[in-house]
Amino acid sequence: MGNTLIKAENISKYYRLGVLGSGTLKEDVKNWWYGKSPETISTTPQSKDHIWALKNIHFEISQGEVVGFIGKNGAGKSTLLKIISRITLPTTGRILGKGRIASLLEVGTGFHIELTGRENIYLNGHIMGMKKKEIDRKFDEIVDFSGVERFLDTPVKRYSSGMYVRLAFAVAAHLDPEILIIDEVLAVGDSEFQKKCLGKMKSVSGEEGKTILFVSHNMQALRNLCDRALILERGEIIASGAPESVIAQYLKSGKEQFLGNDYSSQGSLPGNEFIRVQKVALLPEFLDQHQFIDIRTPLKIRFEFWYDVAEPGDLIAGIHLFSYAGDFIFDLPSKRYTLEKGLVRGECLIPGNFLNDGSYYISIVFVRNTIIRLFYLESCLSFDVEDYRENGSWFGKWAGVVRPDFPVVLTPQHNK
Amino acid sequence: MNKNAGWQWEITANPGWFRVNLKELIHYKDLLLRFVRRDIIASYQQTILGPVWVFLQPLFTTFVYFIIFSRVAKIPTDNIPPVLFYLPGTIIWTYYSDCLTATMYTFVQNAYIFNKVYFPRLIVPLSYILFHSFRISIQLILFIAVYLFFAMGGKNIHPNAAMLLIPVFIFITAAFALGCGLIISAYTAKYRDLENILQFLLRLFMFAVPVVYPASLIPQKYKLLFWLNPLTPLIESFRSAFFSHRPLPFFYLGISIVSSFLILMLGIVLFNRKEIQIMDVI
Repeated sequence: MGNTLIKAENISKYYRLGVLGSGTLKEDVKNWWYGKSPETISTTPQSKDHIWALKNIHFEISQGEVVGFIGKNGAGKSTLLKIISRITLPTTGRILGKGRIASLLEVGTGFHIELTGRENIYLNGHIMGMKKKEIDRKFDEIVDFSGVERFLDTPVKRYSSGMYVRLAFAVAAHLDPEILIIDEVLAVGDSEFQKKCLGKMKSVSGEEGKTILFVSHNMQALRNLCDRALILERGEIIASGAPESVIAQYLKSGKEQFLGNDYSSQGSLPGNEFIRVQKVALLPEFLDQHQFIDIRTPLKIRFEFWYDVAEPGDLIAGIHLFSYAGDFIFDLPSKRYTLEKGLVRGECLIPGNFLNDGSYYISIVFVRNTIIRLFYLESCLSFDVEDYRENGSWFGKWAGVVRPDFPVVLTPQHNK
Repeated sequence: MNKNAGWQWEITANPGWFRVNLKELIHYKDLLLRFVRRDIIASYQQTILGPVWVFLQPLFTTFVYFIIFSRVAKIPTDNIPPVLFYLPGTIIWTYYSDCLTATMYTFVQNAYIFNKVYFPRLIVPLSYILFHSFRISIQLILFIAVYLFFAMGGKNIHPNAAMLLIPVFIFITAAFALGCGLIISAYTAKYRDLENILQFLLRLFMFAVPVVYPASLIPQKYKLLFWLNPLTPLIESFRSAFFSHRPLPFFYLGISIVSSFLILMLGIVLFNRKEIQIMDVI
């Protein structure tokens, strides 16, 4: 460490919003007439027709470092990578650097669908800055990595999208720059291929000591590959440091979770003449100091309601869990209770190591005599479950709705 | 303080006016050739006649000119057989017009690549010029074949040593077209209205060039203005080289060379200045 490869000083980027085109000539002439230049506009505050995509960004990146950029869409991550890649200019500031940069803001940039796979390997390689000799030397390796040998002389328009992406990534994986910039390209291809790509990235950073800057929404990949993570929010770096704690901070702040509601403070309680719900809450039992829900976290659901039915009969409260995609994951009813009028508290514990990572919401149903629906409190809680894996080289999405931790036991059977 | 000495590149808000990096262009020469190859392969993919179109286009055009301007309008052709008169004019004009049209859309056509990866943008217009140079080379072979056919047919035509200058004429045409294209490209990307105007102007411009009529037809009072157009001495010199009907217009040829290169220089400087700023407005 210590040898700084990239140094960004006071980088800002200003974008003019609105319709570009017919209006601009008139406006440009007007600005020119009144002697305005973009520099004078830059002192005005954020307004409707322009936006600061980046504001006073400073950072240094050392040789061999793998740095991950995290942030919501529109936080400025891609703009920053584009500035470092020399695709767009900063409005203020400067970046100093050493060494050759290769940017993978997309795989397969410049692929021409009428050309064969072979031609496209060269075309794409050259666009990425490789020379002919370099590609000649690595050609077999690239083809091997892509796994499309048989279709090498077929125009790529006849390729399946998977083959196309694999060929494109294969070229990218064989670039040989000192600095590699990657924007969310991990999200491509089938799982087998993703594994290959991440493995390649790991070897590039680890064994070859390359410096990598990348943007990803895949927290598992960030956690495993990065030496350092940075959070961008509305164009500013708000956190920087060890990936584990930065990721935790991001997950805690960024998600729109709805972990509870005390309706009594709001004046009116949802419900009807039989049921009035006073409070719902999701109480995660956190395992460590990072305080966000991951697949190991047991979740306690607690709700309080006023029960106001005079006639004899029983009540069932049921918890409905849905994924954000709308899949009905479970319908968990309570036993049949015969209750007096008054305040009732319900509780239920979803154990850890049960739900897979993803986003969920909960509704609560109140049923009388097993068939009469008294009240349905729709989507009263919502939460995200983050992935957690001890280690392993596979960072893709874990398949399945649930993710139980039952043992799978293998016992060798000896023939006696 | 010494630490800064090791920086190899710098990105700033305001790159200077003169940053044509020849070393970088040379580094990307393989890309240049690959683009040319791509365009050659792609333009004849799934066409039945394939590269034959390169021949057919000037032949058809010449045939139409022959009917309209020679047979119907009876415009003289300096005593040169009409087909041989129109063919070089058409070929050089088409070359100029194709090069210009291709380069002026550099940003619009390649925004999807320019948005994703850096390489010296000048590579793209250069590749268009080379692609059309490849086409004009084939067309010149066609011209020579037709020329020989007429010569053997007993027509009274005499070539001279100026024929050796043909590559120079082509080169100047390319420089002029590239220069104009680069200047225009910096503005069409931002102001799309220009495209329509320019297409129209380009069509009109053809009639300011001796493609379908000889320069000798121009009245004395417009002569200077007419010959100051860099394309006029180029096309006329080409004809002089093959038909010896007139001496080479050395004076205007000189002006054409100087003005073409000035325009090319201006184009390169403007293009380099604008290439990265344009990405925010495209």
